[in-house]
Amino acid sequence: MTWPVRQRRLVVPANSEVAVALPAAVALHARPAATFVKTAIRFRSKVSVGVNGKVADAKSILAVLALGATGGTVLRLNAEGEDAPAALDALVACVTGLTE
Amino acid sequence: MVGIVLVSHSYELAHGLAALASQVAGAEVRVEPAGGGPDGGLGTTGDAVRSAISRAESGQGVVVLADLGSSVLTVRHLLEEGGANGHIRLVDAPFVEGAIAAAVMSSAGQDLDDVARAAEEARGASKF
Repeated sequence: MTWPVRQRRLVVPANSEVAVALPAAVALHARPAATFVKTAIRFRSKVSVGVNGKVADAKSILAVLALGATGGTVLRLNAEGEDAPAALDALVACVTGLTE
Repeated sequence: MVGIVLVSHSYELAHGLAALASQVAGAEVRVEPAGGGPDGGLGTTGDAVRSAISRAESGQGVVVLADLGSSVLTVRHLLEEGGANGHIRLVDAPFVEGAIAAAVMSSAGQDLDDVARAAEEARGASKF
């Protein structure tokens, strides 16, 4: 006799959030902001970045620049979609590796 | 990558913005300025725009931004004469913000529609 196999549903986290600090010497302006946005664009998930109560679309360079995030600021990254965990992993690596 | 052409009455404005957009988005995007009249004064010429478009084109299309008034007309005349095929797209966008948004989208490998849309959506973006 065989035991009935319980159907396991693949659970995809619909929404993930993580906080990461900018390197102390790097503000989220011009080139660093573009590097961040280009990383976000690689993913299908909707990604936002929050700084001091302001939230921006992480795929919009103008929205990210408008945050005016200075070095050392904590960014709250939120991703929604099937590749959300991968998007957040990539963005955390991107932020911690940013240089001027 | 989608090329970007910046048309201004001013040589300095077109070249300065091209330098800024390249600095932000990275040197791999072709951002080509077309600014100033034939005598070195303020103005725009169809020839300068035509040559900037051909330098910017790499097969993925070109987004053209113009500063004001007659530079917009210069581009429109040129595209009408050339039997515009949709591959060269004049966008109705703020000059500085539109150029930066378009250059970054292009450098991220987005297509002509996405790059043009990013430039046009720059109209609604707040600076702070």
